[in-house]
Amino acid sequence: MIDDRQLDQLLNDAARSYRVPPAAPLDSMWAGIEREAFAESARPHRAVRWTLLSAAAAAVLLLGVAVGRYTAPIDRPHEASIATSPMTGANDPYQRTTVELLGRTAVLLTGLRTPSASKPNAELSAQAGQLLTTTRRLLDSPVGTDPRMRDLLQDLELVLAQVARLQSPRQRADIALITNALEERDLVPRVRSAVADLATNEY
Amino acid sequence: MTGSAIAVAAGTGDDERSLIARAADGDRGAARALYDRHAARVHRLTFRLCGDADMAEDLTQDVFVQVFRGLKSFRGESSFSTWLHRVALTTALNSMRKVRRLRERETALDDARDVIDGTAAADPDLRAALAGAIDALPEGLRVALVMHAIEGYTHTEIGEALGIAEGTSKSRVFDARALLREALANHWEAR
Repeated sequence: MIDDRQLDQLLNDAARSYRVPPAAPLDSMWAGIEREAFAESARPHRAVRWTLLSAAAAAVLLLGVAVGRYTAPIDRPHEASIATSPMTGANDPYQRTTVELLGRTAVLLTGLRTPSASKPNAELSAQAGQLLTTTRRLLDSPVGTDPRMRDLLQDLELVLAQVARLQSPRQRADIALITNALEERDLVPRVRSAVADLATNEY
Repeated sequence: MTGSAIAVAAGTGDDERSLIARAADGDRGAARALYDRHAARVHRLTFRLCGDADMAEDLTQDVFVQVFRGLKSFRGESSFSTWLHRVALTTALNSMRKVRRLRERETALDDARDVIDGTAAADPDLRAALAGAIDALPEGLRVALVMHAIEGYTHTEIGEALGIAEGTSKSRVFDARALLREALANHWEAR
């Protein structure tokens, strides 16, 4: 078995041999950066505050409906098929935890994207920390085999880790990066869609 | 490797603060000076993580575009270099996940071709085996190992950039080393 000293030697060698970076083409990269970062119309203006508030309200409403559908009493047509499978349905701890996690995460992320949100940063970070722990438990669970859900949970893990380390007062630059990532990856719509899918047992 | 990789890349405090303020006001010369100071380091790290020259260039550009666009709201709660590295890692890991998903869909086809052609790769030498073993590490362990053991970042810097505790960084590197020792055992004994 290779020992620590031998591994150190190999890793020292790897610093010179593992994926050795080519010379950085600084000038050509700068041309692209300058064009994008400093152009007058580099960024489209964000939607106005009322639009965001409306979107946030709609998101919470939709989420409430979806969670309500999921947790409603058991007299639906698809209930028979859920009841016959021991690992699916409302009694499955994995699915129940997932629905709860996604619901809480959607509310948190929607609030993060709302500029008027005044929740103290420490509280936001603490919530994100709790959700992050749950996300990692779900990712580690052998029950969670659906690749779409794993993709979603991995994306959430990254964003929640960023939110969890926000410090008071809110770091505006970091929040801007997080909200950019949310929009780029359509994360909130994906979470809402996953909750709705879970409600109809499609995951 | 010892010492602080971020500290090596960072300039003197007052000078850098002035450059940041001017760049935030749209001074392209100041932005270029910041870029010149940090770009090679960011490019180097992204290449070590993704292993693709074109992708590393794209990632480096994305990182600096994001940073310059967000510079007005940068208040200096952390150092510029730490923030820059945090953006670099987030950008790189997000992009690599997208690429990995695409590649995972292609892997089944590639595996099938290997079985049909009987052309699976021959047993590599130790250096190649180490590279393969590093590539095969889980993402969290690989990033911590590459940053610490290969690029020379301290555990404090890794913790700040990845948003994890310093101790978590240490344990990730420890776990990564254990997996490497296991993966390389046969190659080492066969030398």
